[in-house]
Order: sequence, then C-alpha cells, then structure tokens
Amino acid sequence: MAAVLTEPQAFYGSARPGPLRLVAQGFRDLWSRRRLARYLVQADLTKTGANTLLGNIWWVMDPLLQMAVYVVFVSVILDNKTPDYPLFVFAAILPWKWFSSGINDAILSIVAREQIIKQVAFPKIVLPTAATVGGIVSFLFGMIPLVALILLFYADRMSPTILLIPVVAVVQFFFTLAVAIALSALNVFYRDIGNLARHVLRLWFYLSPALYTEAQVAHLSVNHPELATLYQMNPFAVLFEAYHAVIFYDTMPDWVALGALLAFSLVLLAVCVYIFKRVEPSFAKVL
Amino acid sequence: MNVLREAAVNTLRGSSPYAVDAHGLGVRYSLRFTRKTTVRQSFQHALRRHRGPTEFWALQDVTFRVAQGESLAVIGPNGAGKSTLLQVLAGIIEPSAGTVVIRGKVSSLLTLGAGFDPELTGVDNIVLAGEFMGIDHHEMARRLPGIIEFADIGQFIDAPLRTYSSGMRARLGFSIATAVDPDVLLVDEVLSTGDQVFREKSRRRIEELIAAAKGIVLVTHDMEWVTTFCTRAMLLEKGHTIADGDPAEVVAMHQEHSARSRQEKEAEAARLRLSGVL
Repeated sequence: MAAVLTEPQAFYGSARPGPLRLVAQGFRDLWSRRRLARYLVQADLTKTGANTLLGNIWWVMDPLLQMAVYVVFVSVILDNKTPDYPLFVFAAILPWKWFSSGINDAILSIVAREQIIKQVAFPKIVLPTAATVGGIVSFLFGMIPLVALILLFYADRMSPTILLIPVVAVVQFFFTLAVAIALSALNVFYRDIGNLARHVLRLWFYLSPALYTEAQVAHLSVNHPELATLYQMNPFAVLFEAYHAVIFYDTMPDWVALGALLAFSLVLLAVCVYIFKRVEPSFAKVL
Repeated sequence: MNVLREAAVNTLRGSSPYAVDAHGLGVRYSLRFTRKTTVRQSFQHALRRHRGPTEFWALQDVTFRVAQGESLAVIGPNGAGKSTLLQVLAGIIEPSAGTVVIRGKVSSLLTLGAGFDPELTGVDNIVLAGEFMGIDHHEMARRLPGIIEFADIGQFIDAPLRTYSSGMRARLGFSIATAVDPDVLLVDEVLSTGDQVFREKSRRRIEELIAAAKGIVLVTHDMEWVTTFCTRAMLLEKGHTIADGDPAEVVAMHQEHSARSRQEKEAEAARLRLSGVL
C-alpha cells in the first residue's frame, strides 16, 4: 500500500506525434504484439478447421475446385488453346485467394472486435495484420495440390524456379498488408467498404492476367498505348506474371518489375500505417 | 507530445505522489461519424452540414487527482460521462483536451466477458484475453491455473464458449479481469454477476484488489459501495464535475439531484398526459 510509485507509466494528451514517429510507432506496435497476432491467427485456424465437416481439407479442395470452374469455362466453353491451362490457372488462383480472403477478413477485423476495443487499450494494427498473415497458411496448404498437380500431370514443367515462389510471395505480402491495414481502418468509418471491396476485387481479378496470358491481350494496346501502361501499373499484373514465370514457364521472374513493386509496396505500407495510426484513436469512439 | 510528456514528468517528480493526475480533461465526439455510417449518410451530412451540432463533449474540463492510497468514486446520472472517463484513464480513448498522467500499471475491470470469442474454448479465451491486455505470456501461464480455479466451471473450461450459460460466461470474465495486480485499478460496475455464492466470492476478490491497489477509480450506481470503500467521491453531470469531496456529502447531493430530475420528468410527463387528454 505504501510502496512508492515510480515514474509515470502512462501519459495521455491530445498532442499528436509527427508522421515518421507515428509510422515507427505502428511498426513497434506490431513487433511488440507479434504474439497476439500469432494467437489471433491460430484462433482463426482452429475455428475454420473445427466448424466444417472436412475441416482443413478445404484449403486443398478450394483452389482445386475453383481451378476446375475456370478450366471448364475457359478451356471447354470458350475453347481457349493455352497448353496445360489447368496449371496456368492454378498458379494464379493460389496467390489471389490469399489476397482476396486476406483483404476481406481484414476489412471486418476491426469492426468485429468492437467489444474488446472499447474495453482494453491495445494496438489495433495487430488485427488486420493477423488477417493478412492468416491467409499465408491457406496459401501454404495450396502448395500441396500445386506440387501434386505438377508431379502427376505436368512433370515436364518441373523446375527449380518453383523455389522462387517465396520471393514473389514476400512482395505480395507487403502489398497485401498495406491494402489490408488501410481498408480495415476505413471500414470503421464507412461500413460499405466490405460490399464495395467484393466487387472491386472481382473486377481486379479479371483485369489481371490470371486467366489469360499477356500475349492474348497485347492486341488491345496496339491502338491504345495508354492501356498497356495502365496494365503494367497493376500490381497483380506483375505478381501473376511472376508466379506464372516461376511455376508455369520455368523462367526467372521480371526482377526489375518485381523490385519496383516491392519498393512501391513498402512505401505504400508506410503510408497506410500512417493513416491507420492517425485514425486509430477514434476507433473506440466511432465503433 | 514529447515536450508535454517531459513537462508532465518534471512537474510530477517534484510533487507528491499522485497515482492519477487529470488536468482539464475533455473528450469530444464528432457526430459526423457515429455508429455504422455509410457513404450515403456521410454525403447527407456533408450536404446539410450547417444544420445541427456536429460535435458533442462527453467530458469537459474535468480536473482531479487520486493520491496514493486513495479510492475515488465517480457517480452521476446515466450519460454523465463516467464510463468515458474510465475509458480515458484506461488509455482506450485519447482525450481531446487536457492531460492525464498515471503512475504505475493501470488495469481496468470493465464490463465482463466483453470480446470473448464464442468459438474458442475457455482456456483459449483466457490466453487471448491476456494477450489483448498485454500481459506477458510467462506471467499469464503462471496465472492460468488460478484463473481457471476461480472461475470454477469444471470441464467446460475446454469447451467452446458458445456452450456456456450466461452465468458461466460472466464468471470466466470476472476471473480473467481480476487476475491482475495493478497499481491503479479502474472498476466499472462489475458486481451483479452469477449466483449468490459467486457474488460473495467476487465481492471478496474486489475488496482484496482494492486493498492492494495504490489508487482506485470506481464507477458505480451502488451508493453503499461508495460510502463503504471510497475515500472520496466525484459527481459528474453532463460531462462536468459538479462536486468532489467527502463520499457521504457527494452521495447526498447526487441523490438530491436525481430526485429533483425525477420530479421534473414526472411533472413533464403529467403535463404531456394532460395536454393529450385535452
């Protein structure tokens, strides 16, 4: 009772630190609460595994079934003649599922924790990060059917370039994290972000070279060179081409484009962390 | 922020050891972003921005100190800003004006069981709650058996929370919330949970915590608690401090005020009834 109280441990005021300090604070939050992020990811995995009949088998089945849909649609109905099309599609479906499910989960990650946000002071940036990281697990599980597909049906496309997938995935991770952090914060203020994102994501997928090759759309840019520029600025054009390169074509990815995307993603991440930290104090009031 | 912080540290170093020092505290809510805004509503607000107030002060110019060993009761009618004040002290809401300095580790016993995940087991929820509260995980592992024992829900501790009764849920919540040893304890009405036996047990637990803490801020509607456990009371009304002093006197003032406002409301209702009849 009579113990001497030391330094003030908490100080709250209305003054705001500068942008760089806020960004640094955001990354410090993440690092100091990495264990919380890990538990959130684990909790999410146990839940998805426990609630469905087939449990985690869905992580393997899901991309395969989705691949089947596109193969029927594009190869059979539209009679597209890309050789080994199933593998081509699969190489794009896997990273896209990670991106889209990560973004969708992240958008809800903060509003879903409304109760605890109003009760406990903790760095909220952990929530969208956990959602993004959670997607990696299903991405990793997707490697099982990918490797099986190659070994069983496309043995001639087997090559060591497949080991470069993690390198491409790192670039995708930073890009996904940036978008996830920004949208999760925005959704606190505008609850329609979730609806909007579903449609934007679908459009984005079809506008990116997941189901078609770059060569197949090259004719579009003959008369409209600005379309080609726009196409090249799409992060997922770069990412899908890189995944196709290392999985399907067995070549090196376009390192320059990938490096540029990495640099862009890191800058974007810093900006998004800044935005997040800037509005974070009002979450408990607005929710 | 840094300058302010240093200034605050310096003033405090020389002065007597206050556990909580709040100065000119204000919390402003923007009415432009309220619950579940959509883009459409936001456009509507933008179009008629000039109509009606766009902000609301839940707390305004609240200044108080809690000395070491003191326990302060915060009382007042609903909507007076009591819970907002606790949220500020817990660091959940940033003050829009003024400063708060807290010496020591803060812990809050707020509404029980908030933020539980219905799909996770009791144990998983305890661990997750510990992480949210920022308790070191070695420390949490050490406390886990005690928390489970205190909650006393038997085999259910390994079952998903959705299978719990509301009483079990509340017991687990209480057990987690009180498994702390804070220097500054914030309490927001936690007492009416569970059956008779658990209520007794939880009352004792809170008494222990109150005895051990170096400073307490308690928000309650139970005036008996105020006069029994608190050395001081503060009356909040509409975000302003109305009185601050001896618990018995402040409680009497509060009761007088609420009796008067009740009478006013009844008179108003009677007047409305009368005009309805006529």
